[in-house]
Amino acid sequence: MVYNIILSLQKLSPYQSPGDAIWVGLSNFTEIFTNGETASSAWNTAFWLTALTVAIRLVVGMAIALLLQSRVLARWKLRGVCRTAVLIPWMVPPVVAVACWKWILDANTGVLNQVLVSLGLVPRGVPFLADTSTVWWSIVAIVVWRELPFVVIVLMAGLQSIPQEQYEAAALDSAGPWKSFLHVTVPSLRPVITVVVIMTVIQTFNNFVYVWLTTGGGPGTYTQVLATQLYSAAFVKNDLGHGAAIGIVMSAIMAIFALVYFRVANRDEVRDV
Amino acid sequence: MTTTTSSTTQPKEADSKQNNRRPAKRRLSNSRRPRDLLVIIPTFVLLLVIVFPVLWMVFTSLRPATALAGNVPWSQYFSGLGFDAYRRLFDGTTFARYILNSVVISCASTVCTIILASIAGYGLSRFRFRLRGFMLFIIMGTQLLPFVVLITPVYTFFSVIGLLNSYVGIIIVYTAMTLPLSIFLTLGYFDTIPRVVDEAARIDGCTTLGVIFRIIVPLSLPGIVTVAVTAFIATWEEFLFATVLLTQDQVKTVQVGLAGYFGEYSTDWGVIMAAATVAAIPTILLFSIVQKRLVAGMAAGSVKE
Repeated sequence: MVYNIILSLQKLSPYQSPGDAIWVGLSNFTEIFTNGETASSAWNTAFWLTALTVAIRLVVGMAIALLLQSRVLARWKLRGVCRTAVLIPWMVPPVVAVACWKWILDANTGVLNQVLVSLGLVPRGVPFLADTSTVWWSIVAIVVWRELPFVVIVLMAGLQSIPQEQYEAAALDSAGPWKSFLHVTVPSLRPVITVVVIMTVIQTFNNFVYVWLTTGGGPGTYTQVLATQLYSAAFVKNDLGHGAAIGIVMSAIMAIFALVYFRVANRDEVRDV
Repeated sequence: MTTTTSSTTQPKEADSKQNNRRPAKRRLSNSRRPRDLLVIIPTFVLLLVIVFPVLWMVFTSLRPATALAGNVPWSQYFSGLGFDAYRRLFDGTTFARYILNSVVISCASTVCTIILASIAGYGLSRFRFRLRGFMLFIIMGTQLLPFVVLITPVYTFFSVIGLLNSYVGIIIVYTAMTLPLSIFLTLGYFDTIPRVVDEAARIDGCTTLGVIFRIIVPLSLPGIVTVAVTAFIATWEEFLFATVLLTQDQVKTVQVGLAGYFGEYSTDWGVIMAAATVAAIPTILLFSIVQKRLVAGMAAGSVKE
């Protein structure tokens, strides 16, 4: 980490030895903050890759967790089967997940386009990963699909730890399902949700695999995120110092996020007391 | 989605309203109602959507090459299935070598992690020393570090000491990557073993290492297996460090090789899907074996924190 800071002040290509590095002071940082690419990849990272997917995962994950816990499935002895099915995306490596989806979304022979065309919904195959209007949604779909099970598991564990009496008490107070969810489930799960949000935000913010292998940051630099920008700066444009500087910026953003989040979370707890 | 979930809780509401005086008895009944299908059918559709990509991957890898090139009529979708794509994969590419590399790297990293995590976990579990709290904090803190950021210094460092394109280099990185969580887990398992056991072993003449590897580790074997499997899966799946540090064919891992096919074989999806299936088999198998324990451990870890 310390060496990373030193490196960020230098200009060095992967093919040189570090002894040949040129000191360039803060120019790597000024370059980062003055070119437009960084602003767009910071926005892409914060909104598309992180905020949007975490929000979707929380909502859908909560729905699926409640569904798996529901007594209907228990009555039909389906809980185990369903849980295994939900876990499957999480069992495949991320690279494999990207491979599956690239194939499904393929413009010419992908199954999704074949279905859409044969149903007459589109005149010919949509190039999902090359069209700026669909490319981000495709990436979001891949990230959510692969990372959803983790959220479901943790939320289910949280649900199991809520005492049944609380629901019975709510029912006695003639609270409907929605009300008991709002006043029993959500407050009890708050600490769990906090942990899930922190973990998933950190993991996703720094994620490189999904965007890099799905689009490589393209078309152009349309889907570039900070992690892929770091990689291409350091290993495609052969400027390790520039990459290191982006890394420092990313760490700083994460540190600020962690601080702000703990502040907010703590204030909530104080208010609850 | 929300409608489905609220309807799942509806029977409960109906129950409790009818049976305010004796709620619990009816609640546990296993009577299957026709209206349950309103929940079950959408659930199955949802699960099908979730599982579909993986099924499609396996199915594609088994189809003949001719079927993938053009638009095949739906009626002939299931004709001519076979292992042709796998034959093309193993005869025409160096994929077998990648599998060997991945197995060596993941196994070695896992063994290193288990040995180090056992020692560190034992120390943190049994001894109360001055920097213990600080060390625990560091171990948890590394989980919050953006791992991507370390790629530039690690690369530069390794290029100096000549660890690029070597098993040793990537094994060191992977051990460092899986160690924090592993220590945290072993610490938890060892805490459940009473200290009397250590003392008895010492009286019988065990050294500290003897106590750890002859007594404590075997006693918490299920936990250790879980740690090992988690570490193995994590290293098997890792892509970023592998792709940066391993650029030569004879050391590339399965994930790097597979990613390389995206551009190279973009016309032969059968081969890509076959490679993807092979790359996913170990993780799916291992997951299935330890699923119950793993899920419990994961959940406990994140709820407890």
